[in-house]
Amino acid sequence: MSTDQAATIDELGRYDYGWHDPDSAGTNARRGINEEVVRDISAKKNEPEWMLELRLKGLRLFERKPMPAWGADLSGIDFDNIKYFVRSTEKTATNWEDLPDDIKNTYDRLGIPEAEKQRLVAGVAAQYESEVVYHKIREDLEEQGVLFLDTDTALREHEEMFREYFGTVIPVGDNKFASLNTAVWSGGSFIYVPKGVNVEIPLQAYFRINTENMGQFERTLMIIDEGARVHYVEGCTAPIYSSDSLHSAVVEIIVKKGATCRYTTIQNWSTNVYNLVTKRAVCHEDATMEWIDGNLGSKVTMKYPAVWLMGERAHGETLSLAFAGPGMHTDAGSKMIHAAPNTTSTIVSKSVARGGGRSSYRGLVQINEGCHGSRATVKCDALLVDDESRSDTYPYVDVRDDDVSMGHEATVSKISDSQLFYLMSRGMTEDEAMGMIVRGFIEPIARELPMEYAIELNRLIELQMEGAVG
Amino acid sequence: MTNAVVVPPLDLAPQTRSFDPAAFIEPTSRDEEWKFSAFSQLKQFFIADQSAGNVHAAGVGVNMLDIHQVASTWIPTDLAAAIARANVTEAGVLEIEAQSVHKEPIVIDLTTSTTKAYQHIEIVAGRLSDATVVIRQNLTSQINGATVVTVGDGAKLTVITIIDGDTSTALALQLPVSLGRDAYFTGALAIIGGGAVRIQNAITYTAPGGTAELFGVFLSDTGQHIEQRIFVNHDQPHCKSDVMYKGALLNPGARSVWIGDVLVRKEAIGTDTHQVNRNLVLSDGARADSVPNLELETGDIVKAGHASATGRFDDEQVFYLQSRGIPLDTARQLVVRGFFAEVLGRVGNTHWRDELLAKISQRLGIEKFEGDDE
Repeated sequence: MSTDQAATIDELGRYDYGWHDPDSAGTNARRGINEEVVRDISAKKNEPEWMLELRLKGLRLFERKPMPAWGADLSGIDFDNIKYFVRSTEKTATNWEDLPDDIKNTYDRLGIPEAEKQRLVAGVAAQYESEVVYHKIREDLEEQGVLFLDTDTALREHEEMFREYFGTVIPVGDNKFASLNTAVWSGGSFIYVPKGVNVEIPLQAYFRINTENMGQFERTLMIIDEGARVHYVEGCTAPIYSSDSLHSAVVEIIVKKGATCRYTTIQNWSTNVYNLVTKRAVCHEDATMEWIDGNLGSKVTMKYPAVWLMGERAHGETLSLAFAGPGMHTDAGSKMIHAAPNTTSTIVSKSVARGGGRSSYRGLVQINEGCHGSRATVKCDALLVDDESRSDTYPYVDVRDDDVSMGHEATVSKISDSQLFYLMSRGMTEDEAMGMIVRGFIEPIARELPMEYAIELNRLIELQMEGAVG
Repeated sequence: MTNAVVVPPLDLAPQTRSFDPAAFIEPTSRDEEWKFSAFSQLKQFFIADQSAGNVHAAGVGVNMLDIHQVASTWIPTDLAAAIARANVTEAGVLEIEAQSVHKEPIVIDLTTSTTKAYQHIEIVAGRLSDATVVIRQNLTSQINGATVVTVGDGAKLTVITIIDGDTSTALALQLPVSLGRDAYFTGALAIIGGGAVRIQNAITYTAPGGTAELFGVFLSDTGQHIEQRIFVNHDQPHCKSDVMYKGALLNPGARSVWIGDVLVRKEAIGTDTHQVNRNLVLSDGARADSVPNLELETGDIVKAGHASATGRFDDEQVFYLQSRGIPLDTARQLVVRGFFAEVLGRVGNTHWRDELLAKISQRLGIEKFEGDDE
């Protein structure tokens, strides 16, 4: 391997968004979790009694449930050294000027104001630390009856609807981290799209962790009513810190009859974050749920967006992209549970491992008895750019009906010398050639992203490849 | 304390190896290794039974020896296997002389005279030998044990294993195969009957250049739980593995599990591995689990891939045959037979290939078709 190439691989793991603001809100937050902390969170938010009860139930289940004995190594998480609730500003800001300067500065560097000015963003729920501090919905969406709020506000203003759906898709005892999230959740997005409403522009939320050792436990709840359509986009970046952070979110989505929901995540946590997220959608008759899930950073990611196909002809789709650099372990995939006839699902997973990183695909396709006419396909591709990285595939398939078809396929390929030689013979440098091959490999995912995200993704890969040029 | 530090195993390789049953923790049905298994029928093997007998092996060149006279390098990797190894008293041993070429297959019949039995069979193919071994086992009891295969440097060995029996039986079988330099092993495993059948087929390479081809066919009917776990451990450079298993689930309640684990270690450069599992679910209420796992610790390989598909038979093929005047029932049977013919066609020995196809056809209720060999 040439020195250029080795330098390129080193460069691949560089984290470009690694600044952080002086810690203005996090210093005084308490570490560790107990009943008092949970009661305190609930009291500070003036929550109704039932939510407090649910939080306490979550805490009890969290304490009782064992750590997962599979997947990634989570032994580095110190639950007693995490701040479970941090309030960055006291009130939710309603317009840009109201935001504190250091927060504005952070967002400037992430490019939010430009996006807002260009009206590319329908509404921005920018999550800074644990609470949503900035919120804006386009006027016309409000007129259509679309609710796009932070989850805390939704609980205050729409308690009845909130209570009807909260915890129905992912119950409080679903898994250890879902229980933890239920106990200490804060922030996240709440979306309600009324019957037949088509939200044409993507709804976006930016997330950011900015306090050392601060767990971020946002809770997202989306209800897409009959025949409605929405595309929700979230992107995450986090500054680099010396000790470990925990991000454990829960996302619940209800897609009603004939509705369509697309949920796009580009996640670029810094390489000290444990990213353990439970995401699940329930799809009713003729509904469609699409997860587009890009995992580019973090120390450990364990994330398996799931779709429960409960109604006839429902369709679930996951496009998953994992990028594991030095010291990173990305264990991502998807689950498709077919529980009605003639349901269909597709999982496409692309992973790139480099610099000693480990990327794993782990998924489940389950077709239950009586789901005749159902079809499922899973396709996993892994690209190896060097000899020291690791790539794994763990696809679980469970079929309990005869009139179905299920296919799974996985390929692992490496960038070959002949590919590089061909591109270099056309005048490219080795790094450019490698960048082009990697971009080509992830193109099926990139083209499904909103334009500005696709550009960001391509730019990120380009930047990492460019590092060694010259 | 539930927040206790739990570090998941780093890879798919067995975590414990020992001859001592006490070295293993008794599994539960929630363990990853056992959660797909017919646990209630197999847990009997976690307790040593002094009254159990030995599986007897009969065949040309096969000797029943005292277990202490058997120099086996294989070390058990789970509790059931360790108990079998500790309690078996006699082993069936077949040694194929170095450089010998056997044109006719060596047939071994395995039988038991007790309701519960431990099994230990050793097959050693000497260097540069060339042979085919057929192991027939008609299950009549509860059997726990191992068939240990060692393929010497440059040897070529084919082992065809045929397992049959009624649904009251249980079998927990270890099938470890170790390959020497440039050794070539073909394993064909046909499970036609039996109640709870759990077979762990582990392939290891002791030197570079080995090739392992593993073919399997299985039929699962009501009351049957057929589980196959394959573990290919690539830790030597320039080795190949090619796995193809096909199964059919015939009636409600039939269950099949196929786990194909391939681990490519850092030192296994130039590895070429592929595994395929196809399941035909012919009835509602049958369940097929299929998990082809792949772990790659190096990128310097020739290729690696796996595929798994589960479904009913191809309606288009049935339609085509019908359009040619073949009645629906016959057309379906032909398609099922064709499904298995693909994998059986890769078994080199034509006599045993036809024998297997006939057995499967019989089991499927397919009568002889015109054009079949007599």
